[in-house]
Amino acid sequence: MSTETKHIRIASRHLDSASRSVSQRSQFVGLYAREVLRTFRNPWVLVITFVQPFMWLAFFGSSFSGASPALVQQIFHTSSYIAFLLPGVLATSMLTVGMFGSMSTIQDKRFGFMKRILLTPTTKATVYLSKVLGSTTRGLVQIPVMITAAAIFGVSFAGNPLMWAGWILGIFLLGLGMSCFFLAVTASSTDWQTPGVISNFITMPLMFASGALLPLANFPSWMQAIASVNPVSFSALLGRGIVVFNTADWSYLGYLAIFATGMLLAGTAVASRYLKAE
Amino acid sequence: MPSDAIVTENLTKVYGKLTAVDHVNVKVASGTVVGLLGPNGAGKTTMIKLLTGLTDMTEGEAWVAGFDVRRDPMHVKQRIGWVASEVILDDDFTAWENLWLQAKLQSLPEWKERAGDLLTYFGLNDRRKDRVKTFSTGMRKKLEIALALLHQPEVVFMDEPTIGLDANTRRMLWDLITGVNKEFGITVLLTSHYIEEADALCQQISIIDHGKIVASGSPSALKARVQSDFVELETSEAVDEAKLRSIPGVTEVRSQGKTWILQVSAAEEVLPHIFSTLKTDEIRRINVEKPSLETVFLDITGKRIDQAGSDVPDYRKFYATMRRARK
Repeated sequence: MSTETKHIRIASRHLDSASRSVSQRSQFVGLYAREVLRTFRNPWVLVITFVQPFMWLAFFGSSFSGASPALVQQIFHTSSYIAFLLPGVLATSMLTVGMFGSMSTIQDKRFGFMKRILLTPTTKATVYLSKVLGSTTRGLVQIPVMITAAAIFGVSFAGNPLMWAGWILGIFLLGLGMSCFFLAVTASSTDWQTPGVISNFITMPLMFASGALLPLANFPSWMQAIASVNPVSFSALLGRGIVVFNTADWSYLGYLAIFATGMLLAGTAVASRYLKAE
Repeated sequence: MPSDAIVTENLTKVYGKLTAVDHVNVKVASGTVVGLLGPNGAGKTTMIKLLTGLTDMTEGEAWVAGFDVRRDPMHVKQRIGWVASEVILDDDFTAWENLWLQAKLQSLPEWKERAGDLLTYFGLNDRRKDRVKTFSTGMRKKLEIALALLHQPEVVFMDEPTIGLDANTRRMLWDLITGVNKEFGITVLLTSHYIEEADALCQQISIIDHGKIVASGSPSALKARVQSDFVELETSEAVDEAKLRSIPGVTEVRSQGKTWILQVSAAEEVLPHIFSTLKTDEIRRINVEKPSLETVFLDITGKRIDQAGSDVPDYRKFYATMRRARK
């Protein structure tokens, strides 16, 4: 060992730490990259990411395959239920992305990695934002897979590139807002069960009290009231307008931007105060 | 701004009704290896959490590397390294990626050359592209220390760094800690409940019990405090304490169940008296201890370090309760 120690530049010790400034961007990049790399190095995550969209479209999309085309047209205002369903499934898939971010955070707390992070000059807000963006990115990967799967199922799409960019931005904002919500409410938790329980609690009302899977026209008034403030609906209706009807109601994108911004600000404030190291 | 590497004044941490750290005053000179020695639950880990800004202090003040821990935690965190009792690395990352992440968290623009130097120093350079999950415990510990040193810290905290390691790996780690201190001039504060570890590594030792520093000094100075030898005696039958106290040369008698701890002036002179006072078949076991850090702890607290932990369950009490419940 003594011969190798010559390589260490002992004379330079402590010089850097006296003058070094903290770069939150550098810290964010490191933590965000860790989230993304860790997720996609897990072969099961990859398999499920690619298989799940096909399963959604195959099982759920086939539920009206026995119906007459006229009935499908009458209910969904399009001849393809899969085309109707696609924006809703993508919106619904964003409901659970925050759960994975929460579980990753709890894993870091339980295995001590959060301590390792917080013993560097990294703020809790930076940790929170890296987790939020990491889990949102994980959700976005499903978009091209799902669209490819829908194309394989014979769906033809309307819209232009600008509309599609707006729709994907809307999905991103929904995922961001949901991730912010999940990570904020589990900021102080170290229990593996918490994200799953919250997910179970909110997924069903947000999924079914929305226009994601079925048209809102036939909903009772109280469900329509929930759907009118449900961000899942905003994303699904924005996407459906573009993909199926070639029209973009940008007000939905505005609502999603307000939702994501609100959640981001509130979540950052909560995490800065309550995110625990262990 | 204190010039010592670590200074605390009345540092206190209270969790509910438990005072985990109780008005602790310590000074750690720069460039030294200092040990915080105490049983499980004594407050060692809480001390490290307080000094690294991981938990808020209830009362008192602390400075690390010249910065106030409470008012300037980010400057403190730029200047400290940390080695955990359990190895904490990202197992899905390679050794190099773990170093890369540490460099990002410490905002190091130039880190690759130093990271390469550290991997060479710790003999891990040929495994830099391997995922950490394939490493042995010793290699993982080495990498963890490399992470702690990457940003050229002034103080490295090591929380029970050798707990759970086999004897060879522990010895290897002792050499590394000594080397890190000498080669890099880094102040090391390590916590341990291994007497021999503190004795081998530390230039200064503070003994902590129930959150209080009960003694401080160099290992030799601490040992010099204890003038007596200790004789540990286990008997097959109950022995009258007065009988033991009457043995010439015995200065103190303490009972720990069927075991007696006799504080004696010089063991070699007292042993014949013990054998003449007690019947030989009454003595099940006898053990003589010359002054050591263990006897220092025993002298100060009246307990052995491995018996003093507040989290060590009292099995006899437990079984007695169970028996009563069955009846």
